[in-house]
Amino acid sequence: MLIHRYLEENVEKFPYKDALIYFSGRLTYIELEKAANRLANRLVDNGIKPGDRVGILIEPLINYAVAYFAILKAGAIAVGLNTQGTARNFKSILRDCEVSGLIVLSRLIHVLNEIYQEIPSLKYVIGDGGIEGLTAKLHSESWLDIQMSGDHKRPNVYQRPEAPAQIIYTSGTTGDPKGVTLSHKNLTANTDSIVQYLQLTHEDKVMAILPFFYSYGNSLLLTHIRVGGSIVMDTRFAYPNVVLDVMSQERVTGFSGVPSTFAILMHKSNIHNYRFEHLRYITQAGGPMTPALTEKIMKAMPHLKIYIMYGQTEASARLSYLEPEMLLKKLGSIGKAIPGVTLTVKNDQGDVCKPGEVGEIVAAGDNIMLGYWNKSAETAQVIKSDGLHTGDLAKTDEDGYLYIVSRKSDMIKSGAHRISPKEIDEILAEHEAVQESAVVGVPDEILGEALKAVIVLRQGAQATVRDLLKHCRANLPAFKVPKYIEFRESLPKTSSGKIRRHLLTEQKSE
Amino acid sequence: MDARSEVRNFILENFMMGRDPGELENSGSLLELGIIDSTGVLELVGFIEETYGFTVEDDELVPENLDTIDRIVDYIGRKSQK
Repeated sequence: MLIHRYLEENVEKFPYKDALIYFSGRLTYIELEKAANRLANRLVDNGIKPGDRVGILIEPLINYAVAYFAILKAGAIAVGLNTQGTARNFKSILRDCEVSGLIVLSRLIHVLNEIYQEIPSLKYVIGDGGIEGLTAKLHSESWLDIQMSGDHKRPNVYQRPEAPAQIIYTSGTTGDPKGVTLSHKNLTANTDSIVQYLQLTHEDKVMAILPFFYSYGNSLLLTHIRVGGSIVMDTRFAYPNVVLDVMSQERVTGFSGVPSTFAILMHKSNIHNYRFEHLRYITQAGGPMTPALTEKIMKAMPHLKIYIMYGQTEASARLSYLEPEMLLKKLGSIGKAIPGVTLTVKNDQGDVCKPGEVGEIVAAGDNIMLGYWNKSAETAQVIKSDGLHTGDLAKTDEDGYLYIVSRKSDMIKSGAHRISPKEIDEILAEHEAVQESAVVGVPDEILGEALKAVIVLRQGAQATVRDLLKHCRANLPAFKVPKYIEFRESLPKTSSGKIRRHLLTEQKSE
Repeated sequence: MDARSEVRNFILENFMMGRDPGELENSGSLLELGIIDSTGVLELVGFIEETYGFTVEDDELVPENLDTIDRIVDYIGRKSQK
C-alpha cells in the first residue's frame, strides 16, 4: 500500500466531505486530491523523478498537506522542514538529502536567495504565495499559477511500498541533522496500528496544533486521511483560548498534544469554562508528562479517554500506548506495544530483562525506519539484528507495562522539540570567549525541559549572559536559545574526559 | 522610553536576532510572520507583567491584545489606566 492511496480511496467514498479545515478555508477530499494532482503533474513535468527529494518549507497550512501528497504522487520523497529554522539549518538539511525541488513560503524566499548556491542539486522552486523577490537562478513557478492552470488528473507514476516516502530530520546527538528515512510501508503499518487502537473512524475530526513536519503531527494527518476523517488545523495555540473556541465550534472529537500543550491548557487557558460534548479522546506523546499534570487533565475533563503514548521518529511515530482504562492503575507508564510492534527491554548483555530490571527498549515491527539518510554508520548503531535500539532505558512491571526510567542519549525534549545539546554547544564554541560548554535540560513547568547552558570562559576572556544570548539568537532558532546561562570554572567530567551532564541538571542557574 | 519602543526592543532582541528589523511592522501579526510562537507569547507576557506591573489574565491572552505591536501598546495603555 502507498500512503497517497489513502487519499485516493477516500475520494471515492467521501468526495465532498471536509478533509482539511483551516480558519475559514476548507478542502474536501476531492478538492485536496485535485490540488495535489495538479502539483504532482507539474513536479513530474519539471523533471522530478521517483526517488528524488522535494523539500516542503511552508507552514502547516492546508498547502502543506497538498504538497505532501503531491510529492508522493510524483513518486518522490517528501522532506518537511521546520519553518522556524535558520538559513544554516535549512542549508544543512537541503544539502544532506540533495533536494531536487523545493516548495517554499514567500516570506522565506530571501533565505533561499542566501543559500541556494550552496545547494547544487536544487533545480526547481515553487513559491507558496508567489515567487516575488526570488533572485536565485532556478526554474521557478508560483503555487497559484499551478493551481489555476494545472492538470488535475492522477499522475501515472509507479512506486513500490518499500520505497522511501518521507525523510524527517531530527537533531542528531552529534549536532548534525539526521534524516529519518521512512518507506510507504513503514508509514502505512504505523498508521493502521494507530487507527486500530484509537478506534478512529470517518466520523472523527481532530484538532491539529502540532506541525506536520514532525512525526507526531504527520501521524495525525495520515491517520485521519486513512479513515476519511477531518483535520482542523490551527497555528494559534500561542492563544490557547482561541484554539479552544475553534474546537468547540468545529465539534472536534480528538485533540493531541505534547506535555507543554497540556501544561499551557491547564495553567494559561479558560479550559474549565468549556464542555466539549463531542470530544471523545485526547492523546499525549512527545516526552514524559508528570503524573500530577495527567491527574489535572483527568479532573478537568473526566468524560475523556486519555491515551498516553510513546514513540520515536525512527519508528514512524508510535511504539506504545497506555489504554485509557489503565491510566490511574498504571500512572507514569507508557503502556505496552501497539499492534504490530514488539517491544523488549534488554540489558547490556542483550538478554531480556526481568520485571523491575532496567534495560534498553528494543523495538521491532514494519514501522521501523529504513535508516538515516546517507548515514550508514549511524544507522548501524541503532538498527541491529533484533530491531531498533531506542536509547531509552525502561523497566516493566509484573503485568508487562513499561516505565521509562531515563534516556540513554542526551537529547532534550523542550516543548514539541527534540533538541541536541551538541548543536547548541557547537554554536557557543564559535564565540571567542567560550572555552567549552555543556547544554542540559532542566525541569520546566510549561516546556517539560528548558535549556540551560553551563559555560567555561577562556582564561582572561570576558563575556556576559547577554553577549552569549545575543550570539545564540543570531545563530539558532528561538526554541534552541538557552533559557538559562551559568558560568563555571570547569565542567564535571569522567576519567575519559566525557562531560557528566547529569550533574549539571540538578540545580537551576540564575 | 515609551511603551512602543520598549515592546519593539524586547521583540527585536528576543525573537528577531539575525532578521531584518524592517520586517517588524507595528501592525503586522507576530504569529503569522513567524516571529513568535506559543512559548514566545508566554515570554512576552512575562515581560509585560514585569515591566508594567500588572497581571495578564488568562482570558486576556488573545490575539486582539497581543498579536501586533499596536495592539500590545493599546492593551498596556488600557490596563495601566485601570
